[in-house]
Amino acid sequence: MSLAQVNEIKFYRSQNITELDHIINSSKEELMFVAGATDLMVQEQEWKYSKILVDLTSVKELSQKIKTQTNGVLIGSAVPMSDIINHSLIKDKFPILVEALRQVGSEQIQNRATLGGNISNASPAGDSLPVLNVLNAQLWIGPQKKGEFEKIQVSEIMNEPGETSLKTNKYIAYVFLPFSEGENLFWYFRKVGQREALAISKLSLAVLGWFKNGKIENIRISAGAVTAQVKRAIKTESALINKELNEKLIDEARKLLEDEIAPITDIRSNIEYRKHICGELLRDALYQLNLGNKK
Amino acid sequence: MKISLIINKKKREIDVEPKKRLLDILREDLGLVGTKEGCGKGECGACTVLLNGKRVNSCLIPAFQLEGSQVITVEGLRNWKVFKPIERAYIENGAVQCGFCFPGFVISTISFLKKNSSPVTLDKIKTGFGGNICRCTGYTKILAAIQELADNKEIVDQIQEDWKNEFSASK
Repeated sequence: MSLAQVNEIKFYRSQNITELDHIINSSKEELMFVAGATDLMVQEQEWKYSKILVDLTSVKELSQKIKTQTNGVLIGSAVPMSDIINHSLIKDKFPILVEALRQVGSEQIQNRATLGGNISNASPAGDSLPVLNVLNAQLWIGPQKKGEFEKIQVSEIMNEPGETSLKTNKYIAYVFLPFSEGENLFWYFRKVGQREALAISKLSLAVLGWFKNGKIENIRISAGAVTAQVKRAIKTESALINKELNEKLIDEARKLLEDEIAPITDIRSNIEYRKHICGELLRDALYQLNLGNKK
Repeated sequence: MKISLIINKKKREIDVEPKKRLLDILREDLGLVGTKEGCGKGECGACTVLLNGKRVNSCLIPAFQLEGSQVITVEGLRNWKVFKPIERAYIENGAVQCGFCFPGFVISTISFLKKNSSPVTLDKIKTGFGGNICRCTGYTKILAAIQELADNKEIVDQIQEDWKNEFSASK
């Protein structure tokens, strides 16, 4: 093989999903899907050795579409985060997502970075993951089969750090966010990092739920940057559901969450710190909630 | 691969590798060395340019996604009426020392003031410039320069006008 061939890089820029799916279905080689490239281009190995690039930002449906449906909102996987942050319906219905995305990188990054990329990058520290998890987000996976996307929950996407459960040449086409079934919604998102801008999370906590007659009717809790999988803290949640919040319950929940999450130690933080701060963040969330409910 | 794009209002056709970074295209292929490379990882903002009217890190844009797009670098801003007053505000506030981060800060200043009309709070400025790092000044003087610009209605209006001229004439 000559050097020219070794360095030969092919790329595709489809205009629409039909064209994109056709390219994927007729390809026998491994494709590298590229959205905003903000994570991809800094991962030198992966970026250097990918030979066939498939642009998702050129596909109009994927890079421009934010569509309201009767039961939720469909967001193209390659829509820049800044478009999501500035979308009036998303601001209104999913403020927790807007808050999380505003804390991703910087504005320069948000103008390029996408939900599809943040998920596919499969970093446990992916800022959107815990939030998408408490929102019960659904991922629509292409290429389509008989005109249908395969649908999976965001909690099913992670295998291990850097690796999603998606098979070769599958891509995330859309992220579907269902509208909440409850009223009197409350939400909390907090990211803990070394500095406020451009920090990779040491830990984050997303909480979403709603009250009914003074009691928590439903609550979903998901911590980010603790383990590879995107998991809800089911035990802690059940201890809180149908209960009236008080000091004692809040402290119980804090302890439960510390035991329930099983964080790792890495360069950014360690097990003890992550457990302790995660519990404290939940306490903070529940205090704020309690005050809000008494108003 | 051959791509054609508009850089600082001029149509350019270039032959580059698909993975080549916009930053290297600007500096190596086009000789526009005003755009700097700091970290090469999208953190420092020294390579900030306007791509289709939005500020981005040019170190994180591969060539193959660039066909037909419009790029404005700090060299392109020299034709903007508002460039001199911005430069003056930075200099008079002592906000430029080694100058390496300055091209990125100027692009961010224009992009920020285009979207945030006065009154602009210090907190808003800090968030808006979270993607630009300066290792000399300690930021106090930079923040003062931006605040001064944001509080000056003539400047903010001039940015809107320059922006309109730039983006309507190049079509």
